[in-house]
This record gives sequence, structure tokens and C-alpha cells, in this order.
Amino acid sequence: MMRGAPDPYAAVPGELRELFGPELAPVLRRLGERPRGAADGPSARLGEEDAGTRDAVWATLAELGALGPRAEEERTALAGLMGAALYQSPYADTVTAAALLTATGDPAYGPLLDAAALGAAPLALAVREDGLSGPARPGALTVRREADGYAVDGRRPFTAFAADCGHLVVVGTRSDGETVLALVPREQPGVRLTRRDDIGRGDLYAVGLDRAAVSGAVHPVGALWPGVLAAARVRHAAALAGAARAAVDLAAERLRSRHAFGGPLARQQAPAHRLAALAAEAATAAAFARAQAAAADRGRDVRRGGAQALYLAGELARRAAAESVHLHGAHGMTEAGDAQLFLRRAAVDSQWLGTGTELLREAAASAPVPNPR
Amino acid sequence: MTGGHPGALTPAEEEFRGRVRALLAEERVRALAAEIAAYPPDTEAARLPVHRWLGERGWLAPNWPEEYGGAGLGAAEAALVTEEMTLAGIPDDVHVLGIDIVGRFLLEVGTEEQKKRYLPALAAGEEIATVLFTEPEAGSDLSALRTTARRDGDGWRLYGRKSFNMKSQFGDVALCAARTTESSVAMHGITLFLLPLRSPGVHVEPLPSLCNDRFTVVVVDGVRLTGADVVGEVDNGWALMNDLLQLERTGIDFHAKARRLLDLVTERAAATGRLDDPAYALPLAALDARLRAGHAMAWQQVRNLEAGRPDPVGSAMAKWYVTEQIRPVLDLGLEICGLEGVLTAWDGAAPDGGVLEAALRMGPSHRLASGTSEVMLSLIAANGLGLL
Repeated sequence: MMRGAPDPYAAVPGELRELFGPELAPVLRRLGERPRGAADGPSARLGEEDAGTRDAVWATLAELGALGPRAEEERTALAGLMGAALYQSPYADTVTAAALLTATGDPAYGPLLDAAALGAAPLALAVREDGLSGPARPGALTVRREADGYAVDGRRPFTAFAADCGHLVVVGTRSDGETVLALVPREQPGVRLTRRDDIGRGDLYAVGLDRAAVSGAVHPVGALWPGVLAAARVRHAAALAGAARAAVDLAAERLRSRHAFGGPLARQQAPAHRLAALAAEAATAAAFARAQAAAADRGRDVRRGGAQALYLAGELARRAAAESVHLHGAHGMTEAGDAQLFLRRAAVDSQWLGTGTELLREAAASAPVPNPR
Repeated sequence: MTGGHPGALTPAEEEFRGRVRALLAEERVRALAAEIAAYPPDTEAARLPVHRWLGERGWLAPNWPEEYGGAGLGAAEAALVTEEMTLAGIPDDVHVLGIDIVGRFLLEVGTEEQKKRYLPALAAGEEIATVLFTEPEAGSDLSALRTTARRDGDGWRLYGRKSFNMKSQFGDVALCAARTTESSVAMHGITLFLLPLRSPGVHVEPLPSLCNDRFTVVVVDGVRLTGADVVGEVDNGWALMNDLLQLERTGIDFHAKARRLLDLVTERAAATGRLDDPAYALPLAALDARLRAGHAMAWQQVRNLEAGRPDPVGSAMAKWYVTEQIRPVLDLGLEICGLEGVLTAWDGAAPDGGVLEAALRMGPSHRLASGTSEVMLSLIAANGLGLL
């Protein structure tokens, strides 16, 4: 950031800027990282130190009010900071799930939402039925009427941080085509979790729902989910733009310190220009996300903008990470280097809320006049 | 403009935009835009009545003080005028050169006498000011310029050759960079002068180019200027050019051009049925996303200017990003229009009056003008990333 230039994260309180700032970022980047092939085995358990740090960061987020209701501009700026630090946590899904629960207007969710805002009840968002269909089309969910309430059947094989959360906010498509929400307590026989082993090596779980009891009512949310998803995509776009910029900064640092061909690689125009172009793209993607967040705060419909912002940021995050690895040379391929973290995480995060093609299809379908389909 | 405004306009700004848009939607303006689009070869827009119509209201330079013919408004209103003019099909070169560049220099560092002499006439659309920085051997590297100001008593005589400038054949005055002091440091010793273009000793020759508008070559042969013609301090021109050109570089103007083109291409896709084909619809949605992102970035620069915190790195990013989108827009335009897209305005049957064909010829200019893409990347790399 140039001296005196406006701070794109100005909407975020100073303590949070510090928490996700450059000093702690190297630690946060590796937080929750598991050995490869750990799957659901013993080595998938977090070390004590790692778990302690993770809890401390979460507690700080809660203490500073980041988990409660905030303006989208602030949330989006915070997401950008978290993305730059590659911070992995239930934060994003908790915020999205809480927004959906709130939107139903059901007062029974009040105590849980209060606890979520205080950091005491992280929420897992369970939407996808498989790896192919994006969250805009929630997976099938069978809803049963039981004597004492509702129960649901289904599978959600890509659910983040399910093991850390007391409740799953399950979004699904009922047999009559209606999109519904069911709040499912995790600790019950009808809920089965299996940790996945994915390229991100983080906290991805397959969730099986077998006559899982629902807490309270099952709400139709077909009219609510697209708006909530759009806001989530805006935040996620900011996070990916932040990650892209951080990958660029890491590569720039490497170019400054690495001497070859008679001087620092930073003096070479070809890599410098490639990084400059990526930095410009990252700043532009972040500006787009900020503008969409501000529009959301003004009550505007950001479904199309959210899809477009995420399309740009997701593709960019992968490209910037790949370039960062490349400019690190073979060192970039090693586990010791951090560049590979950006590459692995971007593979997951860039399609977490929809692949590029899905996002473009949605954007094309919702464009104003002239109206591309 | 599709998809809402990323600048989060205030009610007053919305209202201002509505008034500007209403003026530019008047039949007389639409007729003028159609007339310009149908100009025969070697005819180009210069002193346009629409400049006067805007100027009468203080809207041609809305961010200038009222005493100099502006409306006393801010950078946002100036950006809105630029956007609306371009979207209405009004060429913006005269506006950019006279108002955004020469006017900006005079406002920032001009003498009171210079401001009173030139600014009201420029803001009224009555006079045209152009820029004479570039030379045959000094383009992006302006420190290499060779135009010389030789001491002549209490003044100077200018000798040199300026090239690749625009609209000088129609101009009244030009902001001209000349070397006043020889120095081992190339950037030192450059001074900016106000050069009356209709003086004996100034010879302007059009230089045909790819575009409808021609470049001009301006030969300056001993024109005498005095201290009253110096803009800023003697020998300090390099710093001024570096500092003040950045203020003009928000990307707003380039974005508006790209947006107008993409909207035309999208409309053409709808008219031809190609919008129903995902092979065309998805790339259109992708380019729409890029332009909306570029628009947000450009408006961020406008807001930075307004807050008195211009961000040279951000401005370079905005300019680079937006102008890099024009080539893919043109490529997709050709894919969608096919051979109809290569028909010129003079063919009589070209879609949209041959706008795409003209834009194809103009395409390369956007990555060159106001600092080339490579200069922007170098600026970002050096000042934003600590490289180079």
C-alpha cells in the first residue's frame, strides 16, 4: 500500500485490522493445516497450540463484535482482511447462516443468534448435496413430520467446520421444489460426520442426515436464500481478492530477496509487470466487492453483482496463487514455503459458493435490459 | 449505464446526473451525435455546440469555481459529466484536453491572470486548449523531449516539433513542454508554457492515423513567450506533469467508452439472437463483470480525489484495468457481429452506424493514451509493490 493512500480496510476496527495484519498473517495462514492424507484419522486432530490459537482468534472476533450484526461494508472489508491472512474458521458460514435464520423472522432462533453473536455458537451451513451442484441450487432434503416435530434426511458432503459447530443450518430443496431451512443440532444420532481429505487440508466434512431431528420449524426460504447467498458471495469475493493480493505480496517479497542474474529478481520487468497486473486486478475485484456491499447496505439487489464479483475474484485468486508459486521457483513448490498454501486454498475457496461457469450463468440470467440468458 | 452506480451517489449527485442526462437526451444533442457519427472521412469533432450548452450551465467544468465558469461542484460531478457525454456519443477529446488537463494545470498552478484569461472561455466551450508534450522521440519518456526554450531578453523563444497530439488544428492555446535548462538529469530543466496556437511561428499539420480523428504535428519555430506564459515554476515542468496528470487519470473516461461499446455489442447480440446462445451470453456476462468492477475501481479514485487523498497507484490500476478490457470487448463484438462488424459508417448499411468498426480502429489508442499500459504497470510495480 502506498504511503498516504486510502486504506481499503478502513471500515474495520483497528484491533481487527491488527489481528489479521501482516504480523500475524504467517501464523494464521497455517492455522488448522493438517498433514496430507490425514482424512478422519488421529492426525486430523488439531494440535493443542493450534487449537489454542484458533480459539483465541475466535474469542477476539466475538469480543470485538465481529460475529454480530454489522453493516455489509464492514463485514466485506473484514472478509478481505481474513482472506489476505488465509484465515480459516466458521466465521463466513456463521455470518451467512445467522443472516438466513434472522431473515425467517422466527423468534425461536433468537437465543441461538444471540449466542452466535457472542461467539458461543458457531453455525455450519449445509447446502450442497454433491460436489457438482452449487449453492444456488440447494441439494435435496427429505422433510418428515414426526410426532414431536420435524426430522430430515439427506447428505451434505461438503460442509465446512461441521465438527466445531453445535448446529447445522441445513438448506435444501424439498420434494415439492420449495427451498427450505432446517436447524439441526449436531449432537444427535441422526447426524454423522466424516472429515474429508481435500487439497485445502482444512475442516471439510461430509454430513449424513438420517432422520435427524430438527430444532423448531422447517421454514420455506426460497425467497430469502438468493439474497442471503448474494451477500455471502460479496464477502467471499472480498476474501478471495484479499488472498490474491496477499499471494502477490508474497511473491514480491520473494523477488526482492532473491538474487539471480546479477541482482535482485525484483529489478526484472517481466515478473514485476505480471505482479503489478495481478495487484491491479485484485484491487479492482476488491473495489467491486466493496461497491456491492455498499449497495447491499442501501437495500439494493446484489444477486447479479455478487455472482459477478465472485466470478472475478475466484478466477483471480487461483491465477494469482499459481503465479506466486511460479515466481518462487522450485521453493514455491515446497511445503516449507507459503505460496503453495494460496494455491491449495484457492482451489477450494474459488468454487465454494459456485464455480465460475455457474456464477456467469447466474449473472447472464439476471442481467437487466438487454437481458442475456 | 447498467447495474446501478458504484459511486453510491448522494441525492444531490443523482439529481445532477439526471439534469445532465436530460440535457444530453434532448433532440438537438441526439441529432448532433448522429451528425458526428456520420461525418465524412477527414472531418472530426472539435468546437461543438453541446460544449456551449453544457458550459452555459457551468457543467462543462462543474468542479471549477464559479468565478472561472464552473459550477463550484466536486470531482463526482465532473466524473458524471464525462460519463454522460461519452454514453451519449459525444467525443470527449476536446473536453479531456482543455478541461481535465490544461484547465486542471491552470487551476492548480496557474497565475490569477492566466486563470482569468483562459478558464472562463474553456468552461464556456468557446475556446479549445490542447496539450503539446509528446515529440517524435519522446512519448512515454517525456524527459527525452527536445523542444527548446531559448532565452530572449526577459522571455524565451521556442523551437521544436511536437507530434501525436490531438485537436491542435482547432486549438486556441496549448500547454507546451519545453526544455529551458540543459541538465545532466533529464527530468530537470523542463518548463510548461501556454503557447498561442494561432501565432506566426506555429505550424500545424494533420497526421492521418488509424482513427477518424487525426494526430497533428506542431512545429514551433521561434515563437516568443514571456514569464506571463509560464505555467508553474521555470524548470519545474517534469514534477508538474507527473503530479497533475495523475489527477486526470481515474479511468472514468475510458470506462465510459468501454461500457458504451459493450452495451452496443450486447444490444446487437440481442437483435441477432446470439444472446440466447451461451457461447456468446457467458463471455458477455464476464465482460460486463469486468467493466462493473473497473467502474467501481474508477469511482474509488474519484472519491479519493474528492477526499483530497489521490492515490497514484490506485489511479494507475484503474486506468490499466479498464483499458485492458477494451480489446476483449472489441474481439467479442466482432464474434457477435461477424462481417457486419467491419462495415464502416460510410457503407450505409453498417450496424449501429459503424460504431464497432470505428472502435476497432481506435482500440489501440486507449492502451497508449494518458500513460501506456506498461507505464501504468511500472508505476504500480515500483510504488505499490516495491519492485523495479
